[in-house]
Amino acid sequence: MKGFVFFRPLAAVRQPWRSLLQFGVLFSLCAGLIVSCGAPSNPPSTASPTTTSASPSGNGRVTMGTTQKVETLDPADAYTIFTGILLYNMGDRLYTYTPGTTELAPQLATELPTISKDGLTYTIPLREGVKLHDGTPFDAAVMKFSIERFIKNGGGPAFLLSDQIATVEASGKYELTIQLKSPFAAFTSLLTFWGVTPVPPTAYEIGEGKMQPTSFIGSGPYKLAALTPDAIKLDANPDYWGEKPANQGVDIQIYASSANLYNTFKTKGLDIAYQTLEPDQISSLEKDASAGGWQVIEAGSTVVNYMTLNQKLEPTKDLNVRKAIATMIDRNLINQRVFQGQADPLYSLLPTSFSTYKPVFKAAYGDGNFEQAKQLLTAAGYSEAKPLSFEIWYPSASSTRGNVANTLKQSIEKGLPGLVNVTVNSAERATLSKGVDEGAYTTVLLNWYPDFYDADTFIQPFLSCDQGSPQTLCTKGASQGNGSFYYSAKANELVQKQRAEQDPKTRDALITELQDIMAADVPYIPLWQNKDYVFAQNGVNGVSIQPTQQFLLWQIGK
Amino acid sequence: MSRSSALRYYVLSRLLLAPLMLWTITTLVFLLLRATPGDPVDAILGARAPEEVKAAVRERLGLNAPLWLQYLNYMGSLLRLDLGSSLTTQGQTVWQIIQVHFPATLELTVFSMLVAVTVGVLVGALAASRPNTALDAGGRLFGIITYAVPMYWFGMVLQLVFAVQLRWFPIGTRFPLTMTPPQGWTGLYLVDSLLQGNVQAFFVALYYLTLPSLTLGILISGVFERIVRINLKQTLRADYVEAARARGIPERRIVFAHALKNALIPVITVLGLTVASLLGGAILTEVTFSWPGLANRLYQAIEFRDYPVVQGVMVFFGVIVAIASILIDILNAYVDPRIRY
Repeated sequence: MKGFVFFRPLAAVRQPWRSLLQFGVLFSLCAGLIVSCGAPSNPPSTASPTTTSASPSGNGRVTMGTTQKVETLDPADAYTIFTGILLYNMGDRLYTYTPGTTELAPQLATELPTISKDGLTYTIPLREGVKLHDGTPFDAAVMKFSIERFIKNGGGPAFLLSDQIATVEASGKYELTIQLKSPFAAFTSLLTFWGVTPVPPTAYEIGEGKMQPTSFIGSGPYKLAALTPDAIKLDANPDYWGEKPANQGVDIQIYASSANLYNTFKTKGLDIAYQTLEPDQISSLEKDASAGGWQVIEAGSTVVNYMTLNQKLEPTKDLNVRKAIATMIDRNLINQRVFQGQADPLYSLLPTSFSTYKPVFKAAYGDGNFEQAKQLLTAAGYSEAKPLSFEIWYPSASSTRGNVANTLKQSIEKGLPGLVNVTVNSAERATLSKGVDEGAYTTVLLNWYPDFYDADTFIQPFLSCDQGSPQTLCTKGASQGNGSFYYSAKANELVQKQRAEQDPKTRDALITELQDIMAADVPYIPLWQNKDYVFAQNGVNGVSIQPTQQFLLWQIGK
Repeated sequence: MSRSSALRYYVLSRLLLAPLMLWTITTLVFLLLRATPGDPVDAILGARAPEEVKAAVRERLGLNAPLWLQYLNYMGSLLRLDLGSSLTTQGQTVWQIIQVHFPATLELTVFSMLVAVTVGVLVGALAASRPNTALDAGGRLFGIITYAVPMYWFGMVLQLVFAVQLRWFPIGTRFPLTMTPPQGWTGLYLVDSLLQGNVQAFFVALYYLTLPSLTLGILISGVFERIVRINLKQTLRADYVEAARARGIPERRIVFAHALKNALIPVITVLGLTVASLLGGAILTEVTFSWPGLANRLYQAIEFRDYPVVQGVMVFFGVIVAIASILIDILNAYVDPRIRY
C-alpha cells in the first residue's frame, strides 16, 4: 500500500483546477466580447437604475403598485377584485355606473333595458360603431357569444349568470334579448359585472375550461400591452369610442408584500399605491402626507365584515346566546384599537351607502352592552358557576381579523369576568373555507365582497336557503355556505319576493323587513365596513374610488 | 475495476436511483396535499359558488374519484411528462408556469450560490489562517449567526437599511417598471440582455438582483465558512505544509496557494447539498423582495390548494436537486482522485 502523501494529490488535482480556471477565464472573455461587440437591440431607456426609476417620468404614463395577484385575465374566470378592476378598465359592459354615483347608465347598451311585464324578458338596444381591440365590430352576435361563453366555460363567476339566464338571443344586429329563468329585479345591476364584457369570437372559444388567462381583447379604453408575473402594462386605446384616457398608459407593479408597496411609494418609486396596505402603514402615510408630498384619497367601501354564528353547534344554537354575543360586541372599540379609525362600524349586512341600510343591530343590541348580555346569558342558563365558552375563528393570513378577534376576547372577558370565556383560533384560508362549509366552527370572522351593486347581493347569500327546515336547519343553499345554517321560511319567501319585485319602493320595504329578521334571529353579526384608501403623489390628478368600488384608471392624469 | 469504470458504474447507479427518488417525492407530495384540509374547488370557483356547481367541477377534475385512482391518473400523466394544468389559473399548464417563473428563481439561486461560496470561503480562510485569534472567533460567530438568523428577518433588515434608508438598492422586484425587461429564450435577464447586447439592461438586472442574492447568499455562506475553516485548519497542520514552511515560502502563499485548494474539495460536496437549501430559502427571499420566481408562485399554489401546480413544481425542484447532486458527484470525482466508489 502506498503511503498517503499530500503533495501527490495536490499535484494530481492541479490539472483539474487549472482546467476550471481556464474555463472561467474563457467564459468571462466570451461574455466580455458579447457585451462589447453586440449592438443594442433596444434603444436605451431614459430611466436610470436608481430606486426612483419607477417614479413619474413625464412620458404620460402612470405607475401604480399593488399587492393584489392577477390569477387570470379571462373575463369568464376572473373573480377577484383586482382582476375585476383591470377588466373594468380594459373592457366595456352593457351597463355601468355614472362616475361618482351609484346610478346605472348604459355603456354598450344605448338605453336601459325594456323589461317584460312578467319580469322575464330583457330587451337591450346596443351601441353601433364600437370596435374591439382587434378590430372586430361589436354587435349583438358578439355580445351573445360573450355571455354564452361566460356561462358555459365553467369559470369562477359563471354561476352569477347561469343561475339567472335561460337564453340569450341576438334579436337584431344591434339588439339583444335575454330570457331569465325567474324574475330578478337586480339583473340590470348584474350586467355591470366586469366579466360580462364583449370578447371577439375569433380569438376566444366556448367550451368548459377553455380559458385565456394571460391575454385580453375587449372594447375598453385600455389594451393589454404586457403581462409578466409581477407587472402589467396597459396602453391607452387610441381608437376607443368613448372618453379617451387622460394618460398614455398605466404600468402596474405587483408586490408580494405590503411592506414593499409601502416603502416603494414612500421613496417615490410609484405614482399610486392601491390595495392593500396594513392599517399602521395607512396611518403612517396619512400622517406624513403633506411632508412627503402625496395625496390621501379615502372612500367608503362596499366590503362588509361580519361574524357568522353556527346554529348547528352549541352554544350558538341558542338564540339567547347569539343575542348575548351581539350585545357584547363593541364596534367602536374595534375601530379605535384595530383600525385606528380606518373603518366604519356596521349595524346591518348592507353597506351604509345603500339608502335601504337600516342599523338594526344598533337599535336592538347597541355596543358593549354587558348588562343586557348578562340578562340574556342568565336566561340561557349560564352563570359564573357555569360560564359560557365559545370560540372565535379567523383566517390566519389576516392579521387584522386576528387583532379584531383578540380585541373582542379581551373586551368581552373584561366586561363579563367569570361569565364568558372566549378562545381565539385561526386556520389557514383554504382550511377555514372548507370548515365553514362543513359547519366546523362556532363563530367565524368573515368578509363579503359584492359581485355587483345591489342590496340583493348582501341579502340573498346570507339569508336564503334552498333546502332545509326549522328542525334540520339549512342543508343546502347560501346560508349553509356561509356557515350559519340559518333557515327561515319567512326570510326565504321575502328574499324571493324582493328579487321578483320591480317596484323600487316595495322592494326597499322588503329589504328593510329582511334586515329586521336578521337582527331578530342573529345568524350573523355585522361588525365593520372597510374604508378604501389610495395614495397618489402630488401632481397626479383624477384619482378616485367610485362608490361602487371601481377604480377608473382612464381618469388619472399627471 | 479501474477508477473510470467505477465512476461510470456509480453515475449509472445514481441515474437509475433518481427516478426512485422522484417517485418518493411525488408520492409524498400527493398524499400530503390530500391530507391537508381545504378544497381546491373553492380556489377555482370561490367559496360562494353553489354546491351543485362545485360538485360538477369536482367531477370534471376527477376529484371525486378514489384516492388510488387519482394517484394512478397522476402518475400516468407524469410518465407522459404531463404535469397537468393549474386549477386556479384555468387554461395555463404547469409547464407554462414553470417556464415563466423558473428563470427568475434560477438567476437568484445561481447568484446567491456565488455569493455564498465567495463569502463563505473568504471568511473561512481568513479565520483558519489566524487560529485562536479574534479573526478566528469572528469566523465562528459568523457561521453561527448566519445559521441561526431567520431568512425573512435578515432580508427585511437589509431592505430597510440599504434600500429604504440609504437608497443604494431597489426595494424589490426584478426589473424597473418603466423599462422593458430583456426578452430572450432563456428568460434570464442577465443572459438575455447580454445576448441582445443591451449593456444597460444587464447592469440594471444585476442591480436589482444584488440585494436578494446577498440576503440568500450570506445566510447560506455560513455552511461553506464552517467547512473551509475546519478543513483549512487541518490542512495547515499537514506535513507538506510544514515542509513548505521549512522551505521559507510565505505563510499567505502557503494558505491561499497550496492549503486552500485541498481544503476546498469538501466545498464541492456541500455545493450539491446546498442546492436544496437554496431552493427552500428562495421562497422566503422571493416573498420578501417581491421577486417573481417559481418559489413565490409555489407559495401561492399551496395557499390555494392548486394540486397540479404544487405537485409539478415539487417534482421539478426534485429533478433539479437530483441532477445537481449527480453532477457534483461527478465533479468531485474529477477534482479529487482520492475518491473511490
